[in-house]
Amino acid sequence: MQDVFIGFSAVGWRELVMFAVGGALIWLAVRKEYEPMLLLPIGFGAILVNLPLSVVWEHEGAAGFLKVLYDGGIANELFPILIFIAVGAMIDFGPLFKNPAMIFFGAAAQLGIFATMIIATLLGFDLKAAAAVGIIGAADGPTAIYVANKFARDYLGPISVAAYSYMALVPLIQPPVIRMLTTKRERTIRMSYHEAGVPRWLKILFPISVTLVAGFVAPISAPLVGSLMFGNLIRESGVLERLSQTAQNELAYLVTLLLGITIGSSMRADKFLNVTTLMILGMGLVAFVFDTAGGVLFAKLVNLFLPHDKKINPMIGACGISAFPMSARVIQKMAAEEERGNIILMHAIGANVSGQLGSIIAGGMVLALVPLLAG
Amino acid sequence: MNIDIQSLREAGATIQAAFVSLGGLIGVFSTLAVFYLIIRASEAFGRRSPKNE
Repeated sequence: MQDVFIGFSAVGWRELVMFAVGGALIWLAVRKEYEPMLLLPIGFGAILVNLPLSVVWEHEGAAGFLKVLYDGGIANELFPILIFIAVGAMIDFGPLFKNPAMIFFGAAAQLGIFATMIIATLLGFDLKAAAAVGIIGAADGPTAIYVANKFARDYLGPISVAAYSYMALVPLIQPPVIRMLTTKRERTIRMSYHEAGVPRWLKILFPISVTLVAGFVAPISAPLVGSLMFGNLIRESGVLERLSQTAQNELAYLVTLLLGITIGSSMRADKFLNVTTLMILGMGLVAFVFDTAGGVLFAKLVNLFLPHDKKINPMIGACGISAFPMSARVIQKMAAEEERGNIILMHAIGANVSGQLGSIIAGGMVLALVPLLAG
Repeated sequence: MNIDIQSLREAGATIQAAFVSLGGLIGVFSTLAVFYLIIRASEAFGRRSPKNE
């Protein structure tokens, strides 16, 4: 008889709080439509793993299905890599090829990663944990998961939740930061856009070149860059349309489904409910703010050296974060609100896809440099 | 250089993070600069080639 009620006796206040956290994530996904494809599975995974006895994780020495998924998809980094193939197949670098200078915003808007890393060390995190927290600023879920899994597996849950939540909150985070750093006049700068064809061979050559360069500069980033560029090559080759569609749809959806619920399973009460989690969530927000500021301030700096008719709308700089295409849409909406008819979307998209490149390169740099110092 | 790395290994986490930040930002900018040059060079090459699409 005792065994029948064992479920009730095995639950404490911590597990109840985690049910509420899981419920809140599902609410955000369903009601607010914030990254629903990820927050809903994460929320449900958080509920599942905190059920009495946590049978879905491990029971009587045998691995539960979530642990099997974790070991087979997160611990060995398979899921983030597969997601990168899918994302690569979705990216069109065309707008970047038409205005290649936008690529530098993809670097400037990685400032949040590094600023947050320094702040995290000031708050007592060791270098590896600080790097894992800082990488939330990559605004790129798979990169955050990949780096966190290497450097701070215990923080994987809060880091993933922060990364995906703040990506969904880009429309709320970026506008006030941009308004604070720019004048009305700067926000109404118009940028001309010349529609020009991009040769197919360039679209094919680019992912191969990027893979080679990244492989030499930061060999440890090869899995991230290589998988993203592999997906892009499938897309741009023009001869693998079915594979491209499969990567963009079936692969993306299936892996996202498994990734989400597996990330949720890393949110066990004993590991998640602590002050550190709150600090990580707070620092994630700081990372996104610094990313935005880095991009905008860099654009303002560049403008100092440009002639009057070539000035860049500094809001474009904020698109250098990797949250694609959310950030570009937000900036275009802001531009249209500031001055009706001001269309900067294609420039914004160019900067936004550069952010995708910048974030994985930044992830590679962190992966290469941190072990050099922290062993 | 080896001596510098050794002293950084013994430094505090914040100093180490500052080093990683500096190196990381330089690395990201220079890598993307190479990508920029690849695109520009391809454009220049494409303009010269009469057969590009």
